[in-house]
Amino acid sequence: MNLQLPGRIAIVLSLGVFFSPYIEAQSADDTTSDIEYSRKGADTCIACHDDADTLAIFQTKHALPSDPLGPFGHGQLQCEACHGPGGDHSPRVRRGEERPPIISFGPDDVTSVSERNEMCLNCHNDGIGFSWNHGPHDVDEIACADCHVSHAPRDAVMQTSTQPEVCFGCHQLQRSETLKAFSHPFFEGNMDCNGCHSSHGDTVATTLARQTVNETCYECHAEKRGPFLWEHAPVSEDCGLCHSPHGSNHPGMLTRRAPLLCQSCHSQAGHPSIAYQDDGLASGTSSQFLLGQACLNCHSQSHGSNHPSGSKLLR
Amino acid sequence: MNVFKLQTSRHLFLVTMAVAALVTTAQSQEVDTSDWDCEFCPFESGYRADYQLGVTNVSDDAAYLGDANGYSEEGNYANVDGAGSYSSDGHQLRWLVKDLGLDSRYAELAGNRQGKLDYSVSYREIPRTQFFGSETIFQQSTSDTLSLPANWVRAANTAGMSELNTGLAVRDIDSDRSILQIGGRYKLTNRISFSADYRRQEQQGVDIAGGSYFFQASQLAKPIDYVTDSADFDIRYTTDNGFLSVAWYFSDFESDTAGTNWENPFTSAPGSEFATLAQAPGNNFNQVSLLGGYNFSSTRTSVAFSVTAGRMTQNRAFLPYTSNANVVVSPLPRLSLDGEVDTSNLAFSITTRAIKKARIKLEYRYDERDNGTLQDVWSGVIAEAFVTAATTNIPYSFERSRLGLSADYDLFDTVRVSGGYERKQIDRDFQEVAEQTEDNGWGRVRWSPNGAVQIDIKGGASRRDIDSYNEVFAATLGQNPLLRKYNLAFRYRTFGELTFVAAFPESPVTFTLNGLFADDSYTRSIMGLTSGEELGFTGDLSWALGGKSSLYLTGGFENIDSEQFGSELFAREDWRASNNDEFITVGGGVRIREIGGKFDFQLDYTHSEGTSEIDLVSNVSGQSQFPDLESTLEYLRAQISYRHSDRLELVANLRYQSFLAKNWALEGVGPDTILSVLSLGAQPYDEDTLIFGLGFKYSIGGQQ
Repeated sequence: MNLQLPGRIAIVLSLGVFFSPYIEAQSADDTTSDIEYSRKGADTCIACHDDADTLAIFQTKHALPSDPLGPFGHGQLQCEACHGPGGDHSPRVRRGEERPPIISFGPDDVTSVSERNEMCLNCHNDGIGFSWNHGPHDVDEIACADCHVSHAPRDAVMQTSTQPEVCFGCHQLQRSETLKAFSHPFFEGNMDCNGCHSSHGDTVATTLARQTVNETCYECHAEKRGPFLWEHAPVSEDCGLCHSPHGSNHPGMLTRRAPLLCQSCHSQAGHPSIAYQDDGLASGTSSQFLLGQACLNCHSQSHGSNHPSGSKLLR
Repeated sequence: MNVFKLQTSRHLFLVTMAVAALVTTAQSQEVDTSDWDCEFCPFESGYRADYQLGVTNVSDDAAYLGDANGYSEEGNYANVDGAGSYSSDGHQLRWLVKDLGLDSRYAELAGNRQGKLDYSVSYREIPRTQFFGSETIFQQSTSDTLSLPANWVRAANTAGMSELNTGLAVRDIDSDRSILQIGGRYKLTNRISFSADYRRQEQQGVDIAGGSYFFQASQLAKPIDYVTDSADFDIRYTTDNGFLSVAWYFSDFESDTAGTNWENPFTSAPGSEFATLAQAPGNNFNQVSLLGGYNFSSTRTSVAFSVTAGRMTQNRAFLPYTSNANVVVSPLPRLSLDGEVDTSNLAFSITTRAIKKARIKLEYRYDERDNGTLQDVWSGVIAEAFVTAATTNIPYSFERSRLGLSADYDLFDTVRVSGGYERKQIDRDFQEVAEQTEDNGWGRVRWSPNGAVQIDIKGGASRRDIDSYNEVFAATLGQNPLLRKYNLAFRYRTFGELTFVAAFPESPVTFTLNGLFADDSYTRSIMGLTSGEELGFTGDLSWALGGKSSLYLTGGFENIDSEQFGSELFAREDWRASNNDEFITVGGGVRIREIGGKFDFQLDYTHSEGTSEIDLVSNVSGQSQFPDLESTLEYLRAQISYRHSDRLELVANLRYQSFLAKNWALEGVGPDTILSVLSLGAQPYDEDTLIFGLGFKYSIGGQQ
């Protein structure tokens, strides 16, 4: 694994070329079928589905008759653009006979997740569709409708103040972490998960919004980006080496408390190597290495310093 | 029920849907929709808005509980919220305002036109309140200077500072962040779209910073005035099966001042009374990206790639080595850093479902940080008085790659097995380990005996190896040769996850249970972090009590253990510390709608409790068990609303919050408690507030 960038690109492209013929050699089943749509489109649907939650879609941009590409644009398939052909579903059924199902996007939907998602991705293929298949949500068979409520005038997952609760429905450990004493302001509704994560999937590890962890953090914490004259090696590499971004018991969302966190890597003779005891608390000798901000009482530039005399990150 | 009939019906339906999904785009031309008049469709036209006005009373000042939500100070607040839309033929405009009367206000305007243009403008303020009641002797005489009171008498330590008590003044540690965003997307043609998004973040206030004079230090309420401008531009070409995008990301950070000058309250050598703490230097980052994706729909295969190249630069003029004119020091090697870091990223992913019942994914990723900043030899002055030994700046660089292959296979209709392998490699410059690899393998079984229950079990192991730990290089940094930094050390990790979901369509109850563990062994580390273990469980139960009421319960437990070794004598390990973090949270709530057709009620309760224990044993200095670090958060919220009419609703809400922390690092630490550190005297949080609000919501427009 000592290949340089061109070599790595070559490997990747080779794999792509290797797979291409195989992929192209496959062919889809040439299935044909008579697909029956309803007689009157949305008017047929509304005859039964006239409740407020359903009709709320007309307050959304999914239901703009002037949008030629939208479901309700001229010549489009209206409700059936998303719910599929309703020709079997809409007519009267005999007493005792079950009404043929339609894609409901609800918990009792009998269609597969991939089929449901296909209905969304048919239109939302501009970016989302091409990254979706590479993300963990697709692997876990999450349906678009598990997160999105397309009939709602304001979809909760699209609002910063309500999005975390939607995500926490599955990501429960993360919800628990955000309730720790030190966390980002999710609880206050000022930050959403998409601030850092690309939930529709992409080619970045852990579906981050930017290319790396650090680039994602710099989006709001650009003061820590540098480059600095005096760098702190782990800071330049990965913020997550010292911080727990979803929340921590420790100030600054640090993974552990200073000075022990710092002493995991700093063992120089003198004050970095000393085992600071509880007699250094305020009731005892009040050690400058334990109390207040501990190591940061002096080494306050732990993210890097641009002061010519700051090689020890003191100034 | 006629099971056969139902099964047949479902199969027919599934086949129909599959075909429909494949041909929907084409169908829009083929289906005769000439009679689809949509005459019963209640399309929006004109205005629709909900306004919420009210007043809220907060019982007490609370820095922690008021952090980021605007309710940090005792008193009355005006609540102004609203949301609305305007629709005309071909144009929709939507707006939202939230907490306009608070420091956490938010406003948003978004619109779109005929599927051609989407745009949005938003503005958000986030007030950060870190500590109330902290005290400082420093007076901010200018935007970048913290001076001592005129009558200040310097002393060798805080106990001797005779004017301390008279000089102290309360200085809250708080700041405000504001974010302005303007963005839009324009569809030039059905194939080509252009998007732009600009953001301006401003942050003003004070933050805590340690000002060091080497043997003494002062905690400063450091003024900050930051501005970050960033923008994304993207032009994208989309076909039915793929897309190609060229993007540019730009971010520019500026700090109002180059440094914070502060006056040393401790005894200083003549001429060394003032020191300067460097502020974060202005810097910028440019990145261009080429992204693409293609779906081979006939074989259900998808490929995606991204190639990016970026450059971080920083060239702010350096501060002098010292402000002390009495110190003779060689001139700076250069007047600014001219720092330059090139980043490059390459990612490729192919996912296929070409094989029946299987999904295979191959992915590769490469990240590089190439710090091209020149190296020089720098003198340096400590305590504004002493010239230090010359030091060379180290521009850290690394290359990181990851190759992964994973597959899922539906063994039976009810069982899916998955597995994966991943290899990571990191090569670094100027560090103890030059080359590090990690091999990670995992397996997973998902059992879904029916549509209602799903059990997911995942387990795996990873092994991180290093080529060698360069003890000679470590020695040049003064490190104990037995220390292994945890991000550079050999590590063996085992991990597992369990998820259980029960959601019966006929039952009103949904239950989810998650569990995970990870065990890290740094078996080749004698000093530094030697082990880490994490265990977590969460549970969630929701119960729909009829169509109008629901109940939920949540709970979580997490335990993180770690152990590390050090050496006081700079020889073999002679002390051991164990850290244990435990966190428990429980919560629950009810929602009852339309009580008597008029009232809605909502109740939420959350209790969370964090405990951290540190035990330390030293062969040299003895044994300690530090007092537990504790934090307890209680949150109770009740809201009742009365629907007077379709347009008018009255809302009352009551919130009780409390946060109690036990933190030995702050407890009892006044400004003069530590002889060598003049602290801000910030104390652990002990807050409880009662927040009561009353208001009304009025709707106008729309179709009632």
